[in-house]
Amino acid sequence: MSEHLPAAQQDVTLLELVDRVLNKGVVLTGDITLSVADVDLVYVGLRVLLASVATLEQGEAGGA
Amino acid sequence: MLYLYALSEPPTDAPDVLGLDETPLAVERMGDIDAVVGALDRARVEPSERAILDHARVVAAVAEANVAVLPARFGRGFTDGPALRSAVGERSAELTRALDLVRGCSELALRVLAPSDGASTVAASGRDYMRTRLDEQRRTERLADELHEPLAALARAATKSVAAGSELVLSAAYLVPRDTLADFEALVTELGAGHPDLTIACTGPWPPYSFATAEPGAA
Amino acid sequence: MTRRDEERLLYGAGDLDALAAELDRVGTALPRRINADPEHVERGLAQLVLTLVELLRQLMERQALRRMEQGSLTDDEVERLGETFMKLEQRMEELKKEFGLEDRDLNLNLGPLGDLL
Repeated sequence: MSEHLPAAQQDVTLLELVDRVLNKGVVLTGDITLSVADVDLVYVGLRVLLASVATLEQGEAGGA
Repeated sequence: MLYLYALSEPPTDAPDVLGLDETPLAVERMGDIDAVVGALDRARVEPSERAILDHARVVAAVAEANVAVLPARFGRGFTDGPALRSAVGERSAELTRALDLVRGCSELALRVLAPSDGASTVAASGRDYMRTRLDEQRRTERLADELHEPLAALARAATKSVAAGSELVLSAAYLVPRDTLADFEALVTELGAGHPDLTIACTGPWPPYSFATAEPGAA
Repeated sequence: MTRRDEERLLYGAGDLDALAAELDRVGTALPRRINADPEHVERGLAQLVLTLVELLRQLMERQALRRMEQGSLTDDEVERLGETFMKLEQRMEELKKEFGLEDRDLNLNLGPLGDLL
């Protein structure tokens, strides 16, 4: 089971993670442009993200 | 379609984890550069929470299992192997340089928040205003250097961004050899102790997202 | 996230709540949606316009400070620029109040352009 870190610590770590995955990392010219265009204005609520993390962790704990 | 998670220096060990849509990973071997990919049964990937976290998880596992890894940004795919090969081939020199740079290293991130009173600038005249703003800017830059320079000295490469206007005065990333992570952490703790008025967060180790191109600092 | 992500805050001191809020504000996660709700079109437009004005203000102020540092502005120019920026700052505060906007509402994720600020 995962311990529950204070929310602020989790938030900061999560924000750093999402920043890296979405804004950093190598970009090759894919012949399929999959992701949002740079000007897309999609908003993902942090609360929703944290809820997903909780779900994932439950899944992991229950699984292998 | 072939979804790209990361590039890696051969020989690459694909970790035994599942990727997006619970699909297995595969390694596309292209001579000097390997690619860790997943065959997805769809044409579009939305940046959902689940997909973002899956991508991060896979990249972390790949970086854990291999010595030189370039994380790919979320959301890039290729119709097939040859398409991927061609895209990699176009930039193979730059990519092998980047692999060379990150070999054996992890990325550590630093964020520094300086409290601000949030009030509008109080100034008696236009000149006074400009002077105040300039002083603020200089103070911020000096503070950022005080924290950044010693840390950058311990890193193989570093990027930084200083925002005098906002409370987030310093955002930086450091490429640190894995065997010196503890020393780096100790220095962060020391610097933090020397600045009790600041909010400082150092996170990591991350796969080297910020150094995945040969020119660190390129967004 | 793997469990190891819990160990990823290596050092944290101070007001981490404020830091998380600030990171969220500057859009390091995903770009924010401009309020395009038809019931609040005016507010959405004001938000867009004020965001752009704020961006320009910061860019120009930065430019001016740079030139001031280099010594390429006369005293008179410094005075007039300073007054203009002060007035602009005040006006922005008034407009934000008028439309019920906070600082946090005036942040577009500019991607690479964000480095200009």
